[in-house]
Amino acid sequence: MKGIIRIVEHDFRNFFRYKWWLVGLISMNLADLFIMAIVYNKMLNPNAMGPVKDYFKFFAPGLTVTGLFASAFMIGREVNMERRREIHHYMLSLPMTRLELAIGRVLSGGLRGMVYMSPLLLTCFLFVGFPTVVQLLMILTVLFFLAIGISGLSIAIAVSTSSLEKFITARGLVYYTLFFCSSVFYPLSLIQDLGKEGKFPMVLVNLAEINPLSNGSDMIRSFLLGTPSFSPNMIISVLVFSTIFTLSAAFAYIQIIERT
Amino acid sequence: MIERDIRLFFQYKFLIIMRAIWFVSQIVLFGLIASRMMSIPNYFQYYVAGLSVMTLYSAAIFIGFDIYEEAEHGVFEYLLSLPVSRRQLVVGRSIGGGLRSFIYVGPLIGVSLYVIGSINPLNFLVSLFALFLFSFGVSGMSITIAVIIKSSDRFDILMGIVDALIVRLSTAMYPLAVVQAANPLYGGLASFNPLTYVSDLFRWGAAITVLDNPLLPLLGVVAFFSLFTFAGIVIYEGHIEGGGWQ
Repeated sequence: MKGIIRIVEHDFRNFFRYKWWLVGLISMNLADLFIMAIVYNKMLNPNAMGPVKDYFKFFAPGLTVTGLFASAFMIGREVNMERRREIHHYMLSLPMTRLELAIGRVLSGGLRGMVYMSPLLLTCFLFVGFPTVVQLLMILTVLFFLAIGISGLSIAIAVSTSSLEKFITARGLVYYTLFFCSSVFYPLSLIQDLGKEGKFPMVLVNLAEINPLSNGSDMIRSFLLGTPSFSPNMIISVLVFSTIFTLSAAFAYIQIIERT
Repeated sequence: MIERDIRLFFQYKFLIIMRAIWFVSQIVLFGLIASRMMSIPNYFQYYVAGLSVMTLYSAAIFIGFDIYEEAEHGVFEYLLSLPVSRRQLVVGRSIGGGLRSFIYVGPLIGVSLYVIGSINPLNFLVSLFALFLFSFGVSGMSITIAVIIKSSDRFDILMGIVDALIVRLSTAMYPLAVVQAANPLYGGLASFNPLTYVSDLFRWGAAITVLDNPLLPLLGVVAFFSLFTFAGIVIYEGHIEGGGWQ
């Protein structure tokens, strides 16, 4: 357990070294909310949006999840860099088990995502509305598991790619597929309608439905806006995603890092 | 210098692939779905045209990162030792930065036109000229900021913020009337944004929208090009002697 805490501390120190980078990233996220969402609000088709007619309120929970995703994914870049510069030999020489090392990396990636996401979530509450205490605890728990899953996914990609360019390309593919095939930017019903009309592949519609980013955003919306209605499937989807990628990342990290 | 910069750009094959993935996914995923929730007719075509301009902008910005790479790896001394004058070196970089982004975005513009499905040949030639000047201007702006800031991290952050503001406060994603209706301040800023001028001209060339007076945005692009190309050259030239770029 001590080893895990040390790794989390190490990764947090690294995280705060990029403070200006984080400020830049938050500025970009806020520009999306306070410029793009406000302008989009003026050209929305009210029939397409379902019960939520205000795009700003619709997008704020999605933006929180987007920010969480981007920051939790940052750990992958560091792990990839350590592998390329062979710093992982030093990490392996530390007095802790391989499992502690792997769990520490996944956990710190997730916690860093939560720290980064906090101001965005607070902004969302300020402009959209505050949840009850139980709802707040549920939101934080689900987002924490989501962050752990994203961190795991990022580490699994980082240790499986031998160069920064390959990591960035793989990251881009994952980013765009998960972001755009989700309800972060638009209601899920729009994607489902396109699928029914045969204008969108059903495989991508199914991906959007089980996408943890869709379920995370929709769960926050269900508490703050009352739509879509809350379903336990939202939590189950995030937990399944988190379990799969935390275990895959821990396994891949231990196996690949020892081999290279 | 121009040839070297173009060769250098096409060595970043993963970056090129990633940009292409971004472009295609923006069209087939975001563009297709988002156009469903907009009340503006033909928003999909409108968005695809704006996307081409945004891609050109982000490709042209990349020359600034090359300058940091060269400074970090000691390539700058080699460049200064080449049998070319300082002026040729600087002008070559500026032209190379603009030209390579234009070459890269060319096929993507072809894809956009195929998706949009319409074109006004004469207007399109004018808009292509504006895109060409715009890519030189952005390249010059990137060089200017890179040599002034001298820290790749700060440059990265600043360009991210500038990118977020310049793209969102323009007509790349939405019409000017909507931006003005949303917030008069945003509308005012978007009216003086070179990305607005070039996006409007490109849509006019692709026969998506009509422009009352295309000369005004064209003059805006020329002014942007002149300011940053020449400012970039002067500032870059002033910083390359005596290790001023370090």
